[in-house]
Amino acid sequence: MNTPLLKIDNLTVSAGGTPLLHGVSLSVNAGEVHAIMGPNGSGKSTLAHVLAGRPGYQVTGGSVHFDGADLLALPAEERARAGLFLGFQYPVEIPGVSNAYLLKAALNARRRHHGEQDIDAFDFLNMVREKMRTMHIDDALLTRGVNEGFSGGEKKRNEILQMLVMEPRLALLDETDSGLDIDALKIVGRGINSLRAAERAVVVITHYQRLLDYVVPDQVHVLARGRIVRSGDRALALELERRGYDWLLEPAAAMA
Amino acid sequence: MNALERILSEFGPADGAAPARLAAAQALRTHALPTRRDENWRYANLRALEAVRSFLPGPQPTASPALPPALPGYSRLVFIDGRHHPEHALPETSLIDRLRRTDARNADAGVLPFMSAGDGRFGLIARMFAPEPLALRVEGTLALELVSITTAEARGSYLELDIQVAPHAQLELVERHLGGAGPTGWSCVQVELQLGEHAQLTHTRLLQSAPDALHYDTVAVSVGADGHYLLRQVGAGAQTARSTTQVRLGGRDARTQIRALATARDTQVCDALFTVLHEAPGTRSDQLFRGIASDRAHVACSADVQVAATAPGARVLQSLRGLIDGAGAEVDLRPRLTINTDDVQAAHGATTGRLDEDLLFYLLSRGLGPAEARSLLKWAFLAEALNAIDAPALRRVAGQAAAARLADTPATELLQ
Repeated sequence: MNTPLLKIDNLTVSAGGTPLLHGVSLSVNAGEVHAIMGPNGSGKSTLAHVLAGRPGYQVTGGSVHFDGADLLALPAEERARAGLFLGFQYPVEIPGVSNAYLLKAALNARRRHHGEQDIDAFDFLNMVREKMRTMHIDDALLTRGVNEGFSGGEKKRNEILQMLVMEPRLALLDETDSGLDIDALKIVGRGINSLRAAERAVVVITHYQRLLDYVVPDQVHVLARGRIVRSGDRALALELERRGYDWLLEPAAAMA
Repeated sequence: MNALERILSEFGPADGAAPARLAAAQALRTHALPTRRDENWRYANLRALEAVRSFLPGPQPTASPALPPALPGYSRLVFIDGRHHPEHALPETSLIDRLRRTDARNADAGVLPFMSAGDGRFGLIARMFAPEPLALRVEGTLALELVSITTAEARGSYLELDIQVAPHAQLELVERHLGGAGPTGWSCVQVELQLGEHAQLTHTRLLQSAPDALHYDTVAVSVGADGHYLLRQVGAGAQTARSTTQVRLGGRDARTQIRALATARDTQVCDALFTVLHEAPGTRSDQLFRGIASDRAHVACSADVQVAATAPGARVLQSLRGLIDGAGAEVDLRPRLTINTDDVQAAHGATTGRLDEDLLFYLLSRGLGPAEARSLLKWAFLAEALNAIDAPALRRVAGQAAAARLADTPATELLQ
């Protein structure tokens, strides 16, 4: 049996002494798309940020392996270079740093990590412009500051553009669908689908199943009160859409 | 003897000195130098003056210092230890003769109180000692680079510059201060600028004195009706630097835009004061300052805007931001607005802090290393001020100067 690309075992996490994750276990194989759903405050973003290495969280128990290596032992930048990508729910604005500079710096950091040479400037521009077309992003945004003055939808599409440029092994997309209109949702969905490949996996974190109309998941998990309380196939997402989360919350409370 | 007493004593009776020098000495004797008890001088390192061995101008240097590469498209005048060196002028040695004014200095009454009892008192010292004060008048359009180099032999290096920009004329003035006389010498500069009606002056000041230098400069600007004064100042030099700028918007609809940045590291002190006086209707000012103090350095900026009762319809914008990048670093920002008319629109903000952890994590999550991410964010912090310099070659020089005083050097690509 193949080793999962991402394996989380009984992960417990606190922040400032407050427990946030109470023993999350999850296996994601290469080639799969998983969706993590759950109500507000259930720990979805916490899980994504802990996996990406954000400071401020204390891992109090459990383990996380990425491609067989101990993910939690790596600093954030090495996780990214190793192929883990976090798409932010609220992408930050960085005036003064152009999108082009960040994309190139990020890509070259990854290439160097893998013993490759920096990308040629001409090749880089050609590649980025092609991916910008996929994401319906205007060329002019390349020279603008990172997310500077972007609309909410542009920011989310820009996150997916970064993902496409970095070609991660594992993409964690934290509520990438929030704030998107239907057209933008389709574009984002197309972008995510274009990355699907046998050697990669995607974990989509979302409140609603509408993104899953475009990005069809192999597995759906419900995170509630800091633990995964139910897993299933796409039908689970549709059931959640019909019934909400309440019917899963009481058992979760009983386990807490 | 304290520094003031020594300055006056070394100036001496100055028999035969020009009346302007004598008047400056008399004003200094009467009003003395500012002290740290003066609100606008609280953060200036005035004690550094006590280390100056002699305030007299030094002799002609024995060797010619290296000059920075010329800026494309600019004429050039070069001053070494306050003396004009026509052999370095570009494109021709007669440039200064074409521009030189023969009349006395600006008779702009607005400058006098600033230089005597006010914040421009260090300008008096430049006036007392400057070996070759220069008065110019610019007509038409001109791009002029003025390079002032202080050598190690200088002791005191003094420059006094007085430029009138004729009505409807346009001047691009780049003022660069380089070199230094070490901790026991100093450079002291006084610049007066008078803009006629509809005149425009884009004034880029690159303060790049040597890291062990002591540099004080004073700039007094007067803007006539519909005139526009744009200041781009990069404070990136000296162990101790103090810049004092006063912009007087004396004509109807006169405008100024100030984009200034300062970087300091180790134990350097970089202090700046920008005063804008709105004295006529419809005047506008827009000030932006960005400062980064690394290690144990100290960056300070006071920005004082005064809107007189005679200036209805004035518009004021002010944004000051400081970044603390060291355990012992300090940034002090002091915005001040005094408004004496009801018809005014003013917006201002001042913030000081450390690098934003959210921005830092965002870059780390993209694979950038911590040093590169920090450097990039610091560069981004300065960008708004730096990008106001339009000419690419000049912006590159300014960026390199600012970067040299950051704890982390930005990527070469950013400095192109």
